[in-house]
Amino acid sequence: MYGNWGKFLRVNLTTKEIKVETWDEELAKKWLGSRGLGIYLLLKEMDPKVDPLSPENKLIIAPGPLSGTSAPTGGRYNVITKSPLTGYITFANSGGFFGAELKRAGYDALVIEGASEKPVYIYIKDETVEIRDASHLWGKIMSETQETLKKELKDENIKVAWIGPAGEKLVKIAAIMNDIHRAAGRGGPGAVMGSKKLKAIAVRGTKDVPIANKEKFMLTIREKINKLRADPVAGGGLPKYGTAVLVNIINENGLYPARNFQTGVFQYAYEQSGEAMADKYLIRNHPCFACPIGCARMNKLPTIGVTEGPEYESIFALGSNLGISDLASIIEANHMCDEYGLDTISTGGTLATAMELYEKGLLKDSELGKSAPPLRWGNTEVLHYYIEKLAKREGFGDKLAEGGYRLAKMYNGEQYFMGVKKLELPAYDPRGAEGHGLGYATNNRGGCHIKNYMISPEILGYPKKMDPHDISDDKVKMLILFQDLTAIIDSAGLCLFTIFGLGPDDYRDMLNAALGWNLTTEEYLKIGERIWNAERLFNLKAGLDPKSEDTLPKRFLEEPMPEGPNKGRTVRLKEMLPRYYALRGWSEDGRIPEEKLKN
Amino acid sequence: MIHVRVYAMLIDLVGSRTLEVEGARTVKELLDILDSRYHGFKKELEKGFLILVNGVNVLHLNGLDTEIKDGDTVVIFPPVGGG
Ligand code: SF4
Repeated sequence: MYGNWGKFLRVNLTTKEIKVETWDEELAKKWLGSRGLGIYLLLKEMDPKVDPLSPENKLIIAPGPLSGTSAPTGGRYNVITKSPLTGYITFANSGGFFGAELKRAGYDALVIEGASEKPVYIYIKDETVEIRDASHLWGKIMSETQETLKKELKDENIKVAWIGPAGEKLVKIAAIMNDIHRAAGRGGPGAVMGSKKLKAIAVRGTKDVPIANKEKFMLTIREKINKLRADPVAGGGLPKYGTAVLVNIINENGLYPARNFQTGVFQYAYEQSGEAMADKYLIRNHPCFACPIGCARMNKLPTIGVTEGPEYESIFALGSNLGISDLASIIEANHMCDEYGLDTISTGGTLATAMELYEKGLLKDSELGKSAPPLRWGNTEVLHYYIEKLAKREGFGDKLAEGGYRLAKMYNGEQYFMGVKKLELPAYDPRGAEGHGLGYATNNRGGCHIKNYMISPEILGYPKKMDPHDISDDKVKMLILFQDLTAIIDSAGLCLFTIFGLGPDDYRDMLNAALGWNLTTEEYLKIGERIWNAERLFNLKAGLDPKSEDTLPKRFLEEPMPEGPNKGRTVRLKEMLPRYYALRGWSEDGRIPEEKLKN
Repeated sequence: MIHVRVYAMLIDLVGSRTLEVEGARTVKELLDILDSRYHGFKKELEKGFLILVNGVNVLHLNGLDTEIKDGDTVVIFPPVGGG
């Protein structure tokens, strides 16, 4: 096999058994690798009904066939597991260097099963794989964990993925972190790792990924890197301002959520934008492995020193959506989330839910504890105080740690939870981009933007500009294309931001050259469709009810946007959803027919 | 008076985030005026742009021929993206 090694590691933390297993080319042609391999293995080996925090849940950490190669952005990996937050599949994707290192150790995936009784970490150096005691690391925050492991293993180049105190405490919105500030965040994979008492995975890989046609591969990737460099976004805006350049764009387009999505215009957007960040705090950008784009930001603050981030999503989540304007407070809060190992979008989303419950009088001061800051919009004290409580499950933080949906339910305010399938929504009010809204409603991991980034055509104009309020079949087809194509990009081990510059044919070229295949773009998209359907099948088997769960919060369906360019708009989901099912070839009630599954 | 807001690299070029322009009847005329005032303005938009008139992308109006009138707000971004 090329691209993939055809090997993955299986580590059982109950029995402490470590095995190397194989998979073959035929399977690779169906599932590609990473996210695709993950869902294949989960469906084959695990009952989707298992308790996500039980030893029966499996945690799959998988780089793709292009991870660890010099393909542009080839450093990514996915975490595929059953989410404790949603109860459905999650496939959390992260950059940095860890994924590439795991691949270069000779494995296409690490399948973690069972649960240890005592805290452990997994050490991998090529063929050497050990389960080691991690009692001394338990309770440690990110920076301490990385430092301790580097010293202990006497290896400055070791790459580490780990959980913080939040994952240890089974906080349902806990992330798996790697390379200091990179997160596989969405859906609470950190809690799954915590339930297995697995604190960290430390990897060193020294092998070269096998490439079918090296010369052709090098020529192909050079061409693609040039394309990315020439693109005004991938080679211009993203490196210069990072993802936070979106703050002003999305705000001017009237869909930058503020105060728990009560509106889509935030008066103080500029103060927290990429432009303002570049002016005030930016010291340099910080590319992930083999990335010619380099969107990540290193900022410096007098209070916390040098830190990475925040990304656009985190600025919204810890800023505008809580009514907070001050960028320095947002940068500090983002840093705290990284230290404790929390998903920033869900942390902000949960706090926003709490703040609206408070505003509406459903959540009272007496609930919050002595000397707790009031949960008022714009109160920056909220960030520091409640993030710590949440991560440690202390006091009221124990309720926050359950995520926004469960919190809202505890206080009889379910309508104030802005999420889909219990996953807190990212930074786009769907009343300003209706195709994106359909994406939220149908995304296999719940309220997520990145697996069907319709903001790209609806607002930014990539690959072509579509009217954000067009809800024709063309729009639905574009969404399906984005879902299937993203499944390919994820499964290949690349970063989604390469869509600013590359198209479906470019991914085909790189994959064919590396894997030694001759597949057409359509055949790759078919793999993407297969992955999407398999994930949907997992959810259906786990108990998904399409009728009540392929939907959006009432706010977007019934409350017209109060101001800005989208004033008066709601999302016409009812008109789009049946056509989405039909164009996917699913039944009217959102189920997948047998013949489809056979493919 | 047309109210104009610019972002990203255009802020450096213009030296400010907001400005007022008189005498432009279409977006195209507005860009011409801005280019004559700020050398290289149109060059920044050569590879693409995102222009909103009162919050609506001109591509869904009449493109660069979209008419503008006193009191309108025009927002101009060079090509930018993220996620
Ligand atoms: S574009 Fe940004 S997130 Fe993606 S690989 Fe490059 S630096 Fe990492």
